[in-house]
Amino acid sequence: MLKILIPSMFMLLTTWTSPFKQLWSTILMYSFLVATLSLTWLAMPTDTGWFYINNYMAYDPLSSPLLVLTCWLLPLMIIASQNHLAAEPENRQRTYISLLISLQIFLILAFSATEMIMFYVMFEATLIPTLIIITRWGNQMERLNAGTYFLFYTLAGSLPLLVALLIYHSSMGSLSYLSLTSLPLTCSNLYADKLWWMACLLAFLVKMPLYGVHLWLPKAHVEAPIAGSMVLAAVLLKLGGYGMMRIMIILDPLTKELSYPFIILALWGVIMTGSICLRQTDLKSLIAYSSVSHMGLVAAGILIQTPWGFTGALILMIAHGLTSSALFCLANTNYERTHSRTIILARGLQMVLPLMATWWFLASLANLALPPLPNLMGEIMIITSLFNWSFYTLILTGLGTLITASYSLYMFLLTQRGPIPHHLILLEPSHTREHLLLALHLLPLLLLIAKPELVWGWTA
Amino acid sequence: MNPYILTILLFAMGLGTTITFASSHWLLAWMGLEINTLAILPLMCQSHHPRAVEATIKYFLTQATAAAMLLFASITNAWITGQWNLEFMSYSLPTTLVTVALALKIGLAPLHAWMPEVLQGLDLTTGLILSTWQKLAPFCLLLQINPSNTSLLLILGLASTLVGGWGGLNQNQLRKILAYSSIAHLGWMILVLQFFPSLTLLTLLMYFVMTFSLFISFKVNNSTTINSLSMSWSKAPIISSMVPFILLSLGGLPPLSGFMPKWLILQELTKQSLAPLATLAALSALLSLYFYLRISYAMTLTMSPNILLNALPWRLPSNQHTLPLAITTSLTICLLPLTPAIITLLTL
Repeated sequence: MLKILIPSMFMLLTTWTSPFKQLWSTILMYSFLVATLSLTWLAMPTDTGWFYINNYMAYDPLSSPLLVLTCWLLPLMIIASQNHLAAEPENRQRTYISLLISLQIFLILAFSATEMIMFYVMFEATLIPTLIIITRWGNQMERLNAGTYFLFYTLAGSLPLLVALLIYHSSMGSLSYLSLTSLPLTCSNLYADKLWWMACLLAFLVKMPLYGVHLWLPKAHVEAPIAGSMVLAAVLLKLGGYGMMRIMIILDPLTKELSYPFIILALWGVIMTGSICLRQTDLKSLIAYSSVSHMGLVAAGILIQTPWGFTGALILMIAHGLTSSALFCLANTNYERTHSRTIILARGLQMVLPLMATWWFLASLANLALPPLPNLMGEIMIITSLFNWSFYTLILTGLGTLITASYSLYMFLLTQRGPIPHHLILLEPSHTREHLLLALHLLPLLLLIAKPELVWGWTA
Repeated sequence: MNPYILTILLFAMGLGTTITFASSHWLLAWMGLEINTLAILPLMCQSHHPRAVEATIKYFLTQATAAAMLLFASITNAWITGQWNLEFMSYSLPTTLVTVALALKIGLAPLHAWMPEVLQGLDLTTGLILSTWQKLAPFCLLLQINPSNTSLLLILGLASTLVGGWGGLNQNQLRKILAYSSIAHLGWMILVLQFFPSLTLLTLLMYFVMTFSLFISFKVNNSTTINSLSMSWSKAPIISSMVPFILLSLGGLPPLSGFMPKWLILQELTKQSLAPLATLAALSALLSLYFYLRISYAMTLTMSPNILLNALPWRLPSNQHTLPLAITTSLTICLLPLTPAIITLLTL
């Protein structure tokens, strides 16, 4: 455990002491080493219990896929940021890399925390580097607003969570995950208990995001630079899902009735945000709303509280992390060439950049959950467990799948097929770096077809 | 100012606070507070600017009123109970009067109106002394009296956090923002006073460290408005990059040390079954966070368009003493993991 965390912390030191000419290669190699080492976490000796335990950190099959995703993402973020940071002064490049590394450290601590307050502190700690990345290195004026929305939506949800955790602690005495399963809160059906239930979940619902409280996400994803968008889409949203899965244990039996409106809201959000995607003119905004759509399905899957629901949610989180991050990287390749996010300004790219079209194709297929990709596995498991809960959800989820397929196809056809616009005179050919980046995103996704047991958690 | 006069005044300020610390008789405590007030008045108006003089007079009038109320309360207590001891105030009228008088002295809502205007009239160093040192003596007294009315302190506390948050939202003068920040933090301190007094002390000391860093950072940049902060990245880039962390620490974001007092106070309040109050206080901290965030946007996270890149100011070696700034900034950012040690130290 510490053999991943301590090297990550020392990566900060490496950032500041490397000679500038070798900075990016050194950090890239270092982070790839850490990512490779982290793959050992996927080899789980037991199926259900905790392992690699020390006093403050542990994993189980729920957190290890997310941890591997986090560690895998850092080298990808560094590859993606290399181009747009090349023009900046040296110290600012080092600061940016330090922010990415500190984000990884906080995320490792968050996913491996054994105690809920530690998880809470690290959950909040990830906000600060993300805020600085969005507001300092974003490209448009709206990034300040985006940073404010991001910070305040998350905090307004998580401060009641802190109070709820402290209430639980004062009545039960311990907030350690290891003992949570044997300490359910004995609830009478008072209104205060319902408020407590709400307070526990609100932070994670805002983070996921649930449809009604999702306004921060399009702003933050769009205004962030590429590394910020990648980490937001791939990992930070999953913090919400992971927290929800952890805290569900103590929320029984209130969840049976109280989750009803949130499941419906999540499913309605799948349809609504999917429909919004069909009318977007901004490419990053389309991908951001597609993230809301997928995470709505994850939220519904978690709130159902069945083994297939949890498994589907976890698989969908991992698959969506890789897919969404890949889509943002593709959008960034467009942005770096045209400095615009408008879709129609860069159309027909299959003629101009044919190799990139392959990656666009694969990423769009992953987004629409084509079999045999793990995206489909996750979605099918969630849809099945929802159908088991109530037949009528099939209408919503089926419609959602249809709309997801249509906007993914729409995005692919609009960017790749069709006539090339006349004003594009010179587009650089695709860099090897960009091909590498997308291969590293999509190859794990393809490999997961073969062994999804690595990422399906402890329930199935 | 003449160094001899400055020495006498600073000595007198220290003497006043020390007398209040060491006193167990109400008259002596009152005397210490008065010496403290009188000693800082020449420091406040030393620039002879009309604004400074106005601030001095406002400060004098409010502090004198508070001290007179304190004297009246202690005399009433002596009349009723026959003794002048600080700790043995058992009747509700004198205790409530003392609490309100001390609230006026430190600037809790709803007795806070003097604070922004007084701070605005002072220069940054004197403002720092007003925000930090001058709060020590009244808190010493507040920590020693037994509160009569549970809800009085809670109302003062909650009102202060809300007023401190809302009042600062419309400001672009840094000293007024710091005044409202002070009001909000004092509110947090008062919230937990009757349940766990050591936490009040912890919050007070953490607030001193954080606000010291902020005041001195502003002083190094010689800026008193948000707009003038936008040039600080060229004068002192490292300080500019640290100030967002100081501000977010003041706002109470983990993993910075400003989270420590808020977390512990929320824990104590939930143990006392005051969870709705805890939630309200926590959400009111978001209001303050908004204007801290705005300052950090102006200072570090954006670059103003009014810079000529080929005519940056010379970065001359500064003769400001920035070692205290370095120490307090490090403490502001890195102290959270030491929470158990600090709690043990303060509850000894």
